[in-house]
Amino acid sequence: MSRTLFEKVWSEHVVVVSPQGEELLYVDFNLINEGQSFLAFDQLRIEKRGCRRPAQHLAVTDHYLPTINRERGTAGMANPEIRRVVEMLDENATEFALPHVGWHHHDQGIAHVIAPELGIAQPGMLITCNDSHTATNGAVGALAVPVGGGNQLRHVLATQTVWLKKPKTLRISIDGRLPESVTAKDVILSIIRAIGVGGATGYAVEYAGSAIRSMSMEGRLTVCNMSIEAGARIGMIGPDDTTFQHLAGRANAPRGADWARALAYWTTLPTDAEAAFDRELTFDATKLAPMVTWGTSPEDCSPVDGAVPDPSAIGDADRRRHVERALDYMRLTPSTPLEQVAIDRVFIGSCTNSRIEDLRAAAVVLEGRRAVVPGMVSPGSSAVKRQAEAEGLDRIFLAAGLEWRDSGCSMCNGSNGEIVAPGERCASTTNRNFEGRQGRGAMTHIMSPAMVAAAAVFGRLADVRRLSGH
Amino acid sequence: MQPFTVLTAIAAPLEIPKIDTGMILPGRYMRRHRRPGHDYGEAFLYDLRFDEAGRPREDFVLNMPVYREARILVTDGDFGCGSSREGAAFAVLDYGLRALVGPSFGEIFQVNCIQNGILAITVAEAIVHDLWRQLRAEPGAEMTIDLPRQVLVAPNGTTHAFEISALRKDRLVRGIDDIDATLAHADAIDSFERARRAAFPWLPTARRE
Repeated sequence: MSRTLFEKVWSEHVVVVSPQGEELLYVDFNLINEGQSFLAFDQLRIEKRGCRRPAQHLAVTDHYLPTINRERGTAGMANPEIRRVVEMLDENATEFALPHVGWHHHDQGIAHVIAPELGIAQPGMLITCNDSHTATNGAVGALAVPVGGGNQLRHVLATQTVWLKKPKTLRISIDGRLPESVTAKDVILSIIRAIGVGGATGYAVEYAGSAIRSMSMEGRLTVCNMSIEAGARIGMIGPDDTTFQHLAGRANAPRGADWARALAYWTTLPTDAEAAFDRELTFDATKLAPMVTWGTSPEDCSPVDGAVPDPSAIGDADRRRHVERALDYMRLTPSTPLEQVAIDRVFIGSCTNSRIEDLRAAAVVLEGRRAVVPGMVSPGSSAVKRQAEAEGLDRIFLAAGLEWRDSGCSMCNGSNGEIVAPGERCASTTNRNFEGRQGRGAMTHIMSPAMVAAAAVFGRLADVRRLSGH
Repeated sequence: MQPFTVLTAIAAPLEIPKIDTGMILPGRYMRRHRRPGHDYGEAFLYDLRFDEAGRPREDFVLNMPVYREARILVTDGDFGCGSSREGAAFAVLDYGLRALVGPSFGEIFQVNCIQNGILAITVAEAIVHDLWRQLRAEPGAEMTIDLPRQVLVAPNGTTHAFEISALRKDRLVRGIDDIDATLAHADAIDSFERARRAAFPWLPTARRE
């Protein structure tokens, strides 16, 4: 019988089929960030429960870790509350005997950057993490599912399993060649714009089509990363030669005879030609353009040559109410061309766009140019940072006037204290432009790394295609 | 977990679309430890309920005295989209709410709610609009949510069926925690794990350094 990638991986992990509509699935690997995981550990301590399989977990300090003053250790974390959250993950990882990539570790980075980088994320695995962007890891053909940081994480730690309702399947095919300067970020923003932030709720998404097939692993990770911004907890891409080349030689990838066996298994995973999906959508890659958001939801985006929408022209009452509220928060006037919107700062980083290819794309735009607004660049991992420095990208960012920071989630959600000031407008490579996401009263416009670099050069939202030589 | 059977309580209309989990529990409150039922209620929708100086916004619906005892919130679309923070569900619970009714919810948030004993039910948009109209017309009106029968009773007495997975319904009605339910399958997990290790010996493991 023909099956989809999702159905193959799902069925491999079912431990208990419940007649009541949810299934108990086995978790191959779980990532834990400091987020609110302390709540799960608090509860396990009270119940005197331990971790069933510590070697199948990795604690990763990323959300609360400041991207400066690392050499001073925890003493360099000025805010005592933030320092305490970082210390709690250290303590909990020690008490529960969990492997831990902490602030001092050679591999330190954002969980969804380092799991693929270390070869932990592999095709056919079921991976969980107490983070909504867990689907990032689906780019290698894994079934990667976010879990709640309290009860659900506690459940995974204690039992190495998770209860899940089987989602429906949705294939989103993007066919054709992407135009110049149109990136993976623009692909996923265009999808979210078309289907809305609830458009894929209840579905496991498979991204397919020639534009995905010809996309690098970094680009695929960016696409899968923002599945949740379309409502989907799960986003996947069938493993292919790009996947296998990405995995070969990674620290945790199989070796020798295991590699041959793994490869033979992985090549059975892609969706069968005749397999049916519950829903299918197609996009024409050749029609896509560089995107920017103007509102307070990731679906509130437009090609950069567009304008701020006019709520009075919107027929749907619910949509009109949302747009009015969004423009009020974003302090934008209807019908203003997007390229006239001045910005106050830029941020390049986050699990969405902080990999080496992202930094290269931003550096190409910034080389020999100056940013007219302040900003910072936070590589997705310490390994990305080392690679970027070996290529001289750090010197390009510094010469442009941007700060070159250490790795972490940083200004994407500001939980480490690095926030956008109230009333400031930030061009950002991150994934969410919700009210207050980057700080109370902060206004966020999300876009690709090259577009953020262009915004830095012009001091306003700008079409990167205007910069000659790019 | 507190069982959920039949709830009759004041319902408040919250007519703002796309309230994400970061608005439900602002990030700065996520560093708090929590005693279940306490600690997170204050943070619930903080930036909507209070101004920059920490004064209650009088025009915000939940600040109206008539809604002080509200246990049900009738929300707008995509309520709880965004970040997976389970603290958002804790904030709902600690604030005193036991049920959410809306046209759509963020999926992770909805699961987090149900696993913490908050019934988050999806009903058609037209029903939500009708409930808002009734609640606006009679502020402080009560609604009933009958989980065993899977019906919602509007202030004017009309009833609407809602769906919930049989498994979640059973665990909510009995107040059973997921771990206890899972440990009944301990043998199945053990044998599954052994077979998986044997079939896929290359699966990654990590070490403490």
